Amino acid sequence: MNSEKNHHTVIYCRNIKKTYGEGEAKVFALRGVDLDVYQNELLMLVGPSGCGKTTFVSIISALLKADSGECSVLGDDLSKLSDDKKNYFRSHSIGFVFQSFNLLPALTAVENVAIPLLIQGVKRTIALKEAKIVLDTVGLGSRTHALSGELSGGQQQMVAIARALVHKPKIIICDEPTSNLDHESGQQVMVLLRRLVKQENKTLVVVTHDNRIFYFADRMAYMDDGKIIKIENKNGAPQ
Amino acid sequence: MYRIALQMLMGDKAKYVGLLSGITFTAFLVTFALAYFAGFMTWGFALVSENPSVDVWVMDPAVNSTKMTINLPSSALNRVRSVKGVATAVPLSLNDVVARFPNGRFQTFQMIGVDDASLTGAPLLKNALLSTIPYMPDSVIVDAGGTSDKLQTPVHAKDKWPFDGVHLDVPTRKLRYGDELLINDKRVVIAGVSKTIPRFPPHPLLYTTYSNVKRLLPSENKLLTFIMVSAKKGISARQLAKRIEQQTHLRARTSNDFKEDTVHWYLINSEDVGDMASMLILAMTVGFGVTGVMLYMFTYENLKQYAVLKAMGASNSILLKMVFIQAGSSALLGTGIGIGLCAIVGEFVSTIAFPFRLMWFTPLVGILGVLIVSLTAAAISSRPVLKLEPSMVFSGR
Repeated sequence: MNSEKNHHTVIYCRNIKKTYGEGEAKVFALRGVDLDVYQNELLMLVGPSGCGKTTFVSIISALLKADSGECSVLGDDLSKLSDDKKNYFRSHSIGFVFQSFNLLPALTAVENVAIPLLIQGVKRTIALKEAKIVLDTVGLGSRTHALSGELSGGQQQMVAIARALVHKPKIIICDEPTSNLDHESGQQVMVLLRRLVKQENKTLVVVTHDNRIFYFADRMAYMDDGKIIKIENKNGAPQ
Repeated sequence: MYRIALQMLMGDKAKYVGLLSGITFTAFLVTFALAYFAGFMTWGFALVSENPSVDVWVMDPAVNSTKMTINLPSSALNRVRSVKGVATAVPLSLNDVVARFPNGRFQTFQMIGVDDASLTGAPLLKNALLSTIPYMPDSVIVDAGGTSDKLQTPVHAKDKWPFDGVHLDVPTRKLRYGDELLINDKRVVIAGVSKTIPRFPPHPLLYTTYSNVKRLLPSENKLLTFIMVSAKKGISARQLAKRIEQQTHLRARTSNDFKEDTVHWYLINSEDVGDMASMLILAMTVGFGVTGVMLYMFTYENLKQYAVLKAMGASNSILLKMVFIQAGSSALLGTGIGIGLCAIVGEFVSTIAFPFRLMWFTPLVGILGVLIVSLTAAAISSRPVLKLEPSMVFSGR
């Protein structure tokens, strides 16, 4: 767990601490997290509600700032990045998959997928073309012009995955990606995620409670009370 | 991203229609209110407007509106006529009179006495021979002057000039050619019913010749209220007005200046204008409030979507521009619809003697007002967007 940083280390965190509130209302969300995440691995972060999983992934994706500790992602010390650089970092290096999909309801599937490219400033026509290709990859090529409300939960999550991949980020953060899906859709999502990660050499951090998908992980990091309490290497994950 | 902003705006049809309706309502209200105000002011200087051939209006030095007047000695007319550059100068008399209807009902009229020879100042009549008026003693033209039901005379002969007291609650009809009224116990005959520009405040009018006024109002020493002057070629109205003032020590104003004086007088002195302006300000404030609150709510309800964009790397400046594009485009579209609607309604209400005047600057003020409110609302709405914690997109937050 406490190995030194090497060329395979994509996320390097040491003694990360984070509190919310002040005085008597102060809550210790992270009490000193140490964790390395490596290139081309699927790490699952598990633990009870309120143990700090979401806070941790918010910090490694530069959405939240840690109170103290060292957090380096893809070689960037996140504590030293300006807001503009954090925006750039997120828009180029991170892909997000959320529990509730968070698709923009007014946009079609292909437009939703194109958003990260549009944020980067890519021309709309090119962005839509790229988005269409990625939608084909996730098997939704026939639903490119469907609004999110016209898609099933599984399809919406596929669109969200396509959105997380379209700008070719090195890290994908998934927050409970299967919680709102039935078993079959959840399995399809994880198969797809794992395949894409392995084929495209990405790093995937998955926050989950869903023990039905634990066997997809390369490693499991167990959190409780703001700390990593155990890291488990998994063998035999489906390739 | 800006197209996405517009798609977000129009994506939720119900909210968008609500927002657009609010802005349309506000734009309509603001524009209509201004047009209504301008309409009333136009009615205020109706006397000047219906005499477009007059270059200069001459009056007592203390008079500065068509509403509050004091009469001049009749010699003033010749003094004005003697000024170099005056082509014609004709008298106009304004006096309030009480007229009694054949059933005993009475009504205050503004009696307008026009020049016997030229009839300058008399209204155009559709179905009457204006030229006969000077040759018909005690004949008058009546006009509702923006009022309704003030020109009602009894239908039945038994209710006319009754000897058994007044007959007030009897069937009536509008005055018409040949009907009679009593003014200062003198009979006047209706020679026609005109439809001139309504007055503000509304009051019925009686047009007659200057010599008839003298007969009907014998107790008045001075009957001359205005002298209406037309300028000779080669001299401007303003130059002539200045010359008349210098030589006669009377007040002389060009038509446009006199209109402005009258509007100014109403703004300063009329309680009606104050009450009306208060109501309009209240209505506009409510309209603006509705627009502002709806825009704010729209942005607030989309915070989660902005958080998603922010999480994916959209900068605050991109999000701000999106909010302002949503506000600006809604404002422009809503204002366009509102002003268009106002113009249509204006066309309609103008046909029913409603004070409505859409002046060139009225839509501009409407656009400016709604834009200011919308952009202010957008600025206020952008605060939560800027303060947005993008980590709220995660399920645990």
